[in-house]
Amino acid sequence: MSKVLIATDWLAACAGCHMSLLDMDERIVELLNHVTFTSSPVTDLKHPPESGVTVGVLTGAISNTHNVEVAHRMRARCTYLVAVGDCATFGGIVAARNLVGTEAALKRAYLETESTVDGLIPDSPELGRPLPAVTGIGEVVKVDIFLPGCPPRPDDFLYVFSEVLAGRIPVVLPSQHFRYD
Amino acid sequence: MSSITLTINGQQVSAQPGQTVLQAARAAGIDIPTLCHHPALTPSGGCRVCLVEVTGQRALQPSCTFPVADRMEIQTESPKVVRARRFVLELLFSERNHFCMACQMSGACELQALGYRYGLDHWVYPTYTQRFAVDASPPHHLMDHNRCVLCRRCVRACAELVGNHALDLRQRGAHSMICADMDVPLGESSCVGCGTCVNVCPTGALVDKRSAFMARPEDVARVATICTQCSIGCGLNVVMHRGQVLRLESRWDAPVSGGLLCRRGRFEALQDQRPRLLEPLLRENGRSAPASWNYALAEAARHLDQESSQHLGLLTSTRLTNDALALLRAIFVRQLRAAHRGAIATAAPELPFTLCGKLADIAGSDLILLVEADPVRDQPVASFFIKRAVDQGTRLVTVESRSTDLTPFAEASFLPRDMAIAVDLIQAAAKPVILYGAGLQKSEADLLRKVEPRARFIPLVPGVNTVTAAALGLINHINPTACSTLFIAAADENGALDQVAAQIGRSAFVIVMACYASPLTERADLVLPMATWLERSGGFTNTDGTPLRAHAALPASGQSRSDWDILGRLAERLGLDAGAAKADLPRCGA
Repeated sequence: MSKVLIATDWLAACAGCHMSLLDMDERIVELLNHVTFTSSPVTDLKHPPESGVTVGVLTGAISNTHNVEVAHRMRARCTYLVAVGDCATFGGIVAARNLVGTEAALKRAYLETESTVDGLIPDSPELGRPLPAVTGIGEVVKVDIFLPGCPPRPDDFLYVFSEVLAGRIPVVLPSQHFRYD
Repeated sequence: MSSITLTINGQQVSAQPGQTVLQAARAAGIDIPTLCHHPALTPSGGCRVCLVEVTGQRALQPSCTFPVADRMEIQTESPKVVRARRFVLELLFSERNHFCMACQMSGACELQALGYRYGLDHWVYPTYTQRFAVDASPPHHLMDHNRCVLCRRCVRACAELVGNHALDLRQRGAHSMICADMDVPLGESSCVGCGTCVNVCPTGALVDKRSAFMARPEDVARVATICTQCSIGCGLNVVMHRGQVLRLESRWDAPVSGGLLCRRGRFEALQDQRPRLLEPLLRENGRSAPASWNYALAEAARHLDQESSQHLGLLTSTRLTNDALALLRAIFVRQLRAAHRGAIATAAPELPFTLCGKLADIAGSDLILLVEADPVRDQPVASFFIKRAVDQGTRLVTVESRSTDLTPFAEASFLPRDMAIAVDLIQAAAKPVILYGAGLQKSEADLLRKVEPRARFIPLVPGVNTVTAAALGLINHINPTACSTLFIAAADENGALDQVAAQIGRSAFVIVMACYASPLTERADLVLPMATWLERSGGFTNTDGTPLRAHAALPASGQSRSDWDILGRLAERLGLDAGAAKADLPRCGA
């Protein structure tokens, strides 16, 4: 049996979810007997292969137009999309921006911070444009599995991967793998 | 009444008529989830989380308010019910800020637990982006409206349990907000700061400032004990984290208070900033220096033994344990026959009536007579009981020389000289309760004696163990100036200590047993460091004669020891059998 292909990517995220994924330590060796990680933000290959993967893992919130593109690309190239972490499922910490509004947040961060001298709001065409509101990725693409947590623990990742490998989809999270914080 | 039978999830359940479906289900061990429901509060059926399917009913019904009927058939987790519950939860999560990772309630939040239980792994509806106020104006707690689910537990607790009605709801629908009085900041409102609302809040909306974000709920331990701030003796839980006290919490099954605490009991009891006494101190050649317990107790015994009865004085706090007070009686009354004995808080009333009433009687009475007492100031939880009763239609009559915060609740207020009119009112009442305080004069007591067979009398005394102290003959009037050796069991008393210190003769030998440093311990020749209320176990008899037990939550700081421990060792040095001293304890209320 060929190995199941997994690709991961991040949107507006702190990298904590990827750290937690790596925190499964030596169990990742056993996992690699069954899966291949084709690409991830922490490996040389960053983008999911055009030929597609079975499982796409996205962490982070939808905060700007670039995040939307990454989400759509992953959706197009994977069979099952897993939204991992509070940011990907609910908007998380990134969504705190919604409480003040994007305009105000940009002004505060780039112009009004006490240490700022001659501040400028980044405006390069190469950058994604901040959206008016931060959301979970379920707002822009269809998500198959949600794994909340800030971050989800390594055991939670393993649980979801093993359920997907066993073909038990949709994944129902039991209480020990379910947390919002 | 004969029980009725209903079927819940196919299981035969017997219930009493008048019970709700929720009560019947829980009694049978069937768990129906709730959010706005709280066992200490009247059900309101507001949150719709406890919806169940009742055969024959057109719509799902809230089980917390729906009465049982014979042969009723109920489904508590049918697909229809679960769908409805999920929908309710999705709506609840869509309002306001329910991001758990930045909330101090995470792990103990009832909304969060429901989200887990019904598998809400993402939100279906967009959430509010509006930001609500955080009202941090009260000294000890705060209200974060962003976390509020409008369950109204706080509103009901304030009205039904505390009788204070400071909280209510303003506006309607999605604009509803909890508010204090006519929408003023909590700290400027009629809130009494008792924190009952904090205790009943299911989410992180009402927060104890001192302990917020200090520990995860799964890492805390609880020690059940009683409050010793006043003479009610309310039961409480000390919430502990790694040997530190986080906060004090209601104990809903507590005798006497049923979970109520006042601002002093819940918050201020942990705010004591006075310096602790951590080792025995002995003054020799004019200088006070640390001494060993052995030497300190030997010196104490030597001085007490040498002194003549006429010049020996005992001044005691009424906040000592039963055992400690019995030991004081054994040492100073039986053995040394000290001529001068008295209590530090002199505001204790004479107890001319038998202790026949209980604070619980207030709820069932039709007339409360409050004589020369100010429970709002001195026994706040008793004032909650009175206000609750007044809400239920009980009449309040006061006899007082000075108006108190309860006077506005009274139907009539008389001056002490008009006691006869009040007595007439009592004679017309069916179940009168008389609460009397320290100002009760003998002439008024004589008038009240007329109604003694009909009325229930409850004294409102100051210290937590005044009733035992009085029964042991330790409360008399004392003149410290006449003593050349004085033993002062100051415990954790605060007021009146400067006054006592000023009255002591210059040449007197003064032994002070206390928790905290004060002008009195400065003056003392011998200081015996005592464990605080959180550090000692022991029995107490509260103001209505109910026996209560305190349990130590913390080990004693430094070399300090429990009051009964210190006095037991002192008794042994004086050649007494410390164990036998307990025989003097009255069997109060037992």
